[in-house]
Amino acid sequence: MVGGLLLALAGAPLAALVLCLIVRRPRVCEGLNLAASTICFAAALPLPFLIDGQERLFWGGYVILDRLSAWVILCTAIVYVLASIYAVGYMRLLEQEDRLFQFYALFAGFGLTTLVGPLMNSVGIYWIAIELTTLVSTFLVAFEREPESMEAAWKYIMVVSAGISLALLGTVLFYWCGSFVLGPTYQMTWSVLREAAPGMNPVLLTLAFLLVLVGYGTKVGLAPMHTWLPDAHSEGPAPVSAMLSGALLNTAMVGIVRFLAVTRAAGIGAVPEAVLVAFGIASLLVGALFIVRQRGIKRLMAYSSIEHMGVVALGFGFGGVLGVVGALYHMLNHSLNKSLMFFGAGNMMRAYGTKDISGIRHVASHFPSAGALWLAGAIAITGAPPFGLFLSEFTIMRAGLASFSWAVYAMAVLLIVIFIGFMNHFRSMYYGEASGSAPAAHVSAWCAVPMWLALVPLFVLGVWWPGSVWAYLASTAQSLAPVAP
Amino acid sequence: MSAGRRPAAACRGCAVSAREILLQIAQVLTVLLLGPLLQGIILQFEERVQRGQGPGIFQPYRDLWKLFHKQIVLPETASWLFWVPPVVAFTCMLTVPILIPVLTDFPLPVSGMGDILGGGLILTLGSFLIILAGLDTSSAYGGIGSSRAVMVSILAEPTLILVFVGITLLAKAMLPFVVNHLLVASWATYWSPAHLFLVAAFFILLLVETDRMPIHSSTHIEVYMIEEARILEYSGPLLALLKWASSMKQFILYTIFCNVLLLPWGLSIQGTAIGAFGAAAGLIVKFTLVACAVVFVETAQSRLRFYRYQEPLAASFLLAVLAIIGTQLN
Amino acid sequence: MLIQNLDPLASSLFSLLAIASLLLSFVMLGSRWLKNYLYAFAAESWAIAALSAIIGFYGGYPELYLIAILTLLFRGLLLPYLIWRIIRRLDVDREIHEILQPSSGLVIGALFVMFALAVSYRISAEFHLELTVAVLALTVMLSMKLIGFLMLAVRHEAISQILGLLVLENGIFLGSQILVPGMPLLIELVILFDLLIVVACFGVLVRYLLALVGTTSTLQLKRLVG
Repeated sequence: MVGGLLLALAGAPLAALVLCLIVRRPRVCEGLNLAASTICFAAALPLPFLIDGQERLFWGGYVILDRLSAWVILCTAIVYVLASIYAVGYMRLLEQEDRLFQFYALFAGFGLTTLVGPLMNSVGIYWIAIELTTLVSTFLVAFEREPESMEAAWKYIMVVSAGISLALLGTVLFYWCGSFVLGPTYQMTWSVLREAAPGMNPVLLTLAFLLVLVGYGTKVGLAPMHTWLPDAHSEGPAPVSAMLSGALLNTAMVGIVRFLAVTRAAGIGAVPEAVLVAFGIASLLVGALFIVRQRGIKRLMAYSSIEHMGVVALGFGFGGVLGVVGALYHMLNHSLNKSLMFFGAGNMMRAYGTKDISGIRHVASHFPSAGALWLAGAIAITGAPPFGLFLSEFTIMRAGLASFSWAVYAMAVLLIVIFIGFMNHFRSMYYGEASGSAPAAHVSAWCAVPMWLALVPLFVLGVWWPGSVWAYLASTAQSLAPVAP
Repeated sequence: MSAGRRPAAACRGCAVSAREILLQIAQVLTVLLLGPLLQGIILQFEERVQRGQGPGIFQPYRDLWKLFHKQIVLPETASWLFWVPPVVAFTCMLTVPILIPVLTDFPLPVSGMGDILGGGLILTLGSFLIILAGLDTSSAYGGIGSSRAVMVSILAEPTLILVFVGITLLAKAMLPFVVNHLLVASWATYWSPAHLFLVAAFFILLLVETDRMPIHSSTHIEVYMIEEARILEYSGPLLALLKWASSMKQFILYTIFCNVLLLPWGLSIQGTAIGAFGAAAGLIVKFTLVACAVVFVETAQSRLRFYRYQEPLAASFLLAVLAIIGTQLN
Repeated sequence: MLIQNLDPLASSLFSLLAIASLLLSFVMLGSRWLKNYLYAFAAESWAIAALSAIIGFYGGYPELYLIAILTLLFRGLLLPYLIWRIIRRLDVDREIHEILQPSSGLVIGALFVMFALAVSYRISAEFHLELTVAVLALTVMLSMKLIGFLMLAVRHEAISQILGLLVLENGIFLGSQILVPGMPLLIELVILFDLLIVVACFGVLVRYLLALVGTTSTLQLKRLVG
């Protein structure tokens, strides 16, 4: 049963990819991508409920499905289906009908590689999956064939590939560490590493983890390795930005979390956790500083992604049940919220014809419903109640008070700064003085429905945190850190 | 070390044998007399490569003879320092052959006076005084030559020291004789990466110190000369001394390169007269080979801009560092 | 483990090939001409392929012969050929406005090698391995990584940046061959093919760069700020 679901999860986007390349009609491709994403969502939704107890291995041990991967796949599938719905409406506005099949083929490929990443049991194959996501998404970022898009794509692939190669070095060092305990040849899977961890040399293990942290941290967008993120997330088309922010960053975080579990099993959790917390605070700082003085609407959202990934890193770094639970809940809420924000930003960009915040004015009067949705999303993403991000950030702060109180104070201050800066931009967009011409057209249903579909769960999750979800996340935390929290 | 091969002297503090003193003097005489020959060979090769006739390999002797019979002309702006460089440089070049293995591969009585580093320092003293000589008469060409020489030596001297450190680490002793024995005895050391890198680094420095880098002209016709510019104001016997000193310096550097690093064979082991003459002949053969390589490198490359002198020196620095690291890993 | 009982001939062969690779990466760092980069990279890949074969011989890992042949074909011949085709289509032969002169690059590279040596000593002291081959492998791996990053940072031609990335990968491959020759075959094969796909993507991207931005020099990519 679970095997069949996983097969559907991987097979549907693959089939969509192949068929889009064969059948090049734009409407058919839209439908194929939409169907594939719906199948993926339908396959991913029951997965967390079907996992009880231990992890399940498939395909001779190459595919692992445990609580962590089921959760992340659920987040990814939600973003994939929302972005696919949105893409139908958005890409029609770009008026590049003859190249649209390439977009949907690449989009399906992107969905495939992002969904498959957390399922990889072998550490080396996980690295290759992350590398493939980089390659596929580069072409998506460069889709619009503008000089700025090319610049963003080049920076993206260069910085991320260089960072990922550091992660490969870390992986080789992990293997070398393990070879002292397990012999020269062994299958390097996550559980094998965890079991062999107590016998591994602490200095080499710390070095290997730091390399992996910097390497995969480049992919996640932690400061100071974040330099590619604002460009890549702002230059791609809006559905691609939503997928990049909402799905890909989570997938890369899975690697860091799994390696962190290995170091915790070895008993040297202190240094890695401290470094992870430092990176988290640095990301929050960078996000805060750049949000306050931002001029582009999509770059604003990209810096907000950096900030939220910093919060997730803080959650995992603080550790314990509260920290991990908060971080995982934050992943889900952030995926929903960031998709909403990018959808809104895409709508406004197409309507007003500009990327600058100063060119977007009087949103409330021109777009009553879509504008209200977007404003609600903005309030949510800065961490205000009654939305889900407030609950997760609060949980993370509670987790950190015991050991990293300085970080919690810094986090609180920076979140307030971000709130003020972000809402200032939205104030000027909604209630500022008018400048420029009135916007064109209206927001089509294809573009508006995903925003509703994103906001409603966000609100629900913010008001009601089900006990079963808490229990699920708490058991995930236990599996990641066998030592008592 | 080489105590077993030393003839005659049975105890320390005993009188050293006459043969050893003769060998020591013969070493200095070899450098003195064969220095201009090496210069002649190099110039002849260069001319031949450029499809000219060449002045013959004994031309430097004729030049020295001619200069010794000429009159000394002093510039008006010369000071007391004008007389010093020729004499001191010549003397330094006479001193260094005492310390290095020229004819024999065992250390002679006063060879322990200085080690590799000491020899390098004495060579530098000579160069330093010649640089001062270029500045002394306040002529334009002298200033240019001296300033360029100093710019090159700022990078070259530390690299030279690094190469000497590498040699020392390779043999774990500071005497050139120990290095010589080590390389002759052990093939593994000869072909080890550390040794090969040292050879390459020293080759580049050889080019730099003997003015064979392809960034200037070694005749005194063109404007971008370095060596000739410094001694432009000298005449007569003083000029003869300076030219002789520079050819001896070249000979000494080639000696260090061949006998210590690259081709450490062919030195006299017993110290007999026939052995000494054979060693001298072997020197000429070895030097001819190295001279071919030097001339080839210099003439195959077109003249570069002056500021690109840092590139071969940076490569030499790099090779010296890699050699030192190579010695640590064995 | 392999590096714990090596006979001296094997040890010196490893040292020779590893140091030759390092020297070739310095050749890449110190030259201005793109064709020289390419030839040095091809020669470096060949040295690493030879190293794989020798390790397979001495360690008794027959699958490493396959890896050696594939490395020779893909990294040593196919990748340089693909990049050569890209260079031929471009108008540039060398870095025109250098940010860091080649000679300074060589000196900084030497400093990196010293740093890598210090780190490797620290690591091997942890294992009480006074084994020179392990120290050498770690040193060469880390220095090639640092040199690759230096090339990525200071070279602004797109081709040089691609070659910098490939030097990074070469360094990791070299280190993994010496330190962990028993790594599963599947991973090594997939990484090899992955490199091929990466270079193919780069070829397409360079073509786009040339068409849309007008030049492959990344000094011109400064539209996105803030």
